[in-house]
Amino acid sequence: MDTVLRCGKTASLLVTISVLLLQAETVSADDPIDTSAYEGKVVIVDFWASWCVPCRRSFPWLNTMHDRYGEDGLVIIGVNLDQERAAADEFLQEFPPRFSIHYDETKEMAKAYGVVAMPTSYLIGRDGEIRKTHYGFKVKKQNEYESAIVEAISESE
Amino acid sequence: MSTKDKPAITAALAAATCALLGSTVAEPVQAQEEPGWDFNTALLYYGEDDDRVQDLSLSVLSRLTLVDDRFLSLGLTLDGLTGASPNGALPQSVAQTFTRPSGKKTYTTQAGEQPLDDTFLDTRVAITANWQQPLGRLYLINAGLSASKEFDYLHLGLNARISRDFNKRNTTLSAGFAISQDEVDPIGGTPTGLTEMLPSSGDDDDDDEGRRKGPAENKDGLDIVLGLTQVLSRDLLLQVNYSYSDASGYLTDPFKILSVVDGVTGDAVPVAPIPGVDGPSHLYYFEHRPDSRTKHSLYTQAKYYMNGKVLDASYRYMTDDWEIDSHTLDLRLRLPLRGGHYVEPHLRMYTQTAADFYRLSLTDGEALPEYASADYRLGDFDAITAGLKYGWKTGGGNDMHLRLELYKQSGNVSPDQLIGNQVGRDNYPDLNAIIFQFGYQFGK
Amino acid sequence: MRIALLITGLAGICMLSACSSMGVEPWERDILAKEEMQLTTDAVEAATDDHIYFSKEASSGGRGFGGGGCGCN
Repeated sequence: MDTVLRCGKTASLLVTISVLLLQAETVSADDPIDTSAYEGKVVIVDFWASWCVPCRRSFPWLNTMHDRYGEDGLVIIGVNLDQERAAADEFLQEFPPRFSIHYDETKEMAKAYGVVAMPTSYLIGRDGEIRKTHYGFKVKKQNEYESAIVEAISESE
Repeated sequence: MSTKDKPAITAALAAATCALLGSTVAEPVQAQEEPGWDFNTALLYYGEDDDRVQDLSLSVLSRLTLVDDRFLSLGLTLDGLTGASPNGALPQSVAQTFTRPSGKKTYTTQAGEQPLDDTFLDTRVAITANWQQPLGRLYLINAGLSASKEFDYLHLGLNARISRDFNKRNTTLSAGFAISQDEVDPIGGTPTGLTEMLPSSGDDDDDDEGRRKGPAENKDGLDIVLGLTQVLSRDLLLQVNYSYSDASGYLTDPFKILSVVDGVTGDAVPVAPIPGVDGPSHLYYFEHRPDSRTKHSLYTQAKYYMNGKVLDASYRYMTDDWEIDSHTLDLRLRLPLRGGHYVEPHLRMYTQTAADFYRLSLTDGEALPEYASADYRLGDFDAITAGLKYGWKTGGGNDMHLRLELYKQSGNVSPDQLIGNQVGRDNYPDLNAIIFQFGYQFGK
Repeated sequence: MRIALLITGLAGICMLSACSSMGVEPWERDILAKEEMQLTTDAVEAATDDHIYFSKEASSGGRGFGGGGCGCN
């Protein structure tokens, strides 16, 4: 129930939209994002909000994944869906991320991806297609989530 | 006064411990993030005026949060009750004497006063255990046990619930049931319904012969609740529940009586005193209720967020096969103050119609009905609660609150129920009570 | 009894049709996630009140289970 495979066309479209939106409205801790940075990379797009308790649990794990597989080509983008920026900033003070954060203020990205649960994370392969969609964050499924990342990373383009 | 002369709480009061689905024991799921314990404790004082019931209770609900939204809740409540409770007899213009439930001594009510059984002292221990976890992504299950013990009452219960989310979790359907098995073992034995209150034995021997009192009795309960919760907007949540409740077995209150009155004067019929024996001054009969009761309830609740303020409004309609209908309207408005403090005024309005076998008294010379009770709790009355709760956070970030409520119950006795001299007397024991609670939550 | 059944039936139909169009997006549950917006904010207080009113009146219970909140996981 937790994983859904999407058809290639939709996935590519979504990634394109994401990239365009990120280009247009990025306010992240890092330097302005370069589209070339995503080509050939495995990308996790993780939708979160400060009031979402499982999101708090997922942040330390996402940091660990970033540390472990960043050099192998994993990019994590935490897309914030808070109604108020202040709440998100307060959360980030408590759970500082080592991955990049994007603020989806208009919620266009969430709608484009069809987010139906909080949190939701999309694992996108090197070819730009969505490999796995995870609804919610369960501590017991961490190994499962990690295996999916490893599998996506080991794929050649 | 020996402890044997102190009858325990009436079955009705005691039965409050039954595993009603309505009294949830699981804390709301939101708060806890990391695995660990959190505690919700409260100290409560309940006191009625006119030397009636007073209760002091301590409740502790401890919850263990485990990974991935699983919870184990353990609850403990200790109650100490004292005071007097109306025994069902009508006030008279002369003094009245009654035999104590133990059957060994008597007590007297002054002329014009509401007859109260003042041999009231009991402690109650209630425990609950509850397990909650998600099942898959969209289901939530909950199972629990409950038990309570007081001097003359034992309750055991089991409950389970399941809920499923729909429509991106905007809609939740839930179903649950609770079963209970209670045992009533009143001091002096269970009196046979609609039989006369007999004189006291006057001694301390355990001698129940000739008192027409039986052994312990059982009471079984089944409750089913079906619920629908719907998110209406970002700041409005609605819940609608239908409940079915079935109780069977011994539902009578073993300590409640009815006065037998003269058909013309409406005064209690005196009993000729027996030399050397203390006994009732007038004719009193023990009450008798049916051995089954089926209730249907419809409950709806809305929570509305208005820029920091929260309105909690609920309405419940109840109807049963004892012909009792009730309406409950409950309103709370939480107003945030600076520094994490809040104040919450509360208003509750309640009204119920009488059970079909409820009556003020029995009439001398008339055939005895099959069922009869003068217990004010089954009568026609209105009640109102007005309260205020004040909450704050301690230096350590824990929640504390103080709550003060006033509860007033007024009987509606229609003139056609009154006979002779009963008109002009205060026949229904109106209730005025104060509720004071201190709460402390920590560990979150 | 019939009214109760009717309302239960309506609730079922509501879930299937009307309710499916009502509600909010998953990211719009910030207010519903607040502690003070839960259906039962204090379980001990609710249980205490239920006990008091059960002891003094002929009605009891009614509260339900589940729903509302952050809708997470």
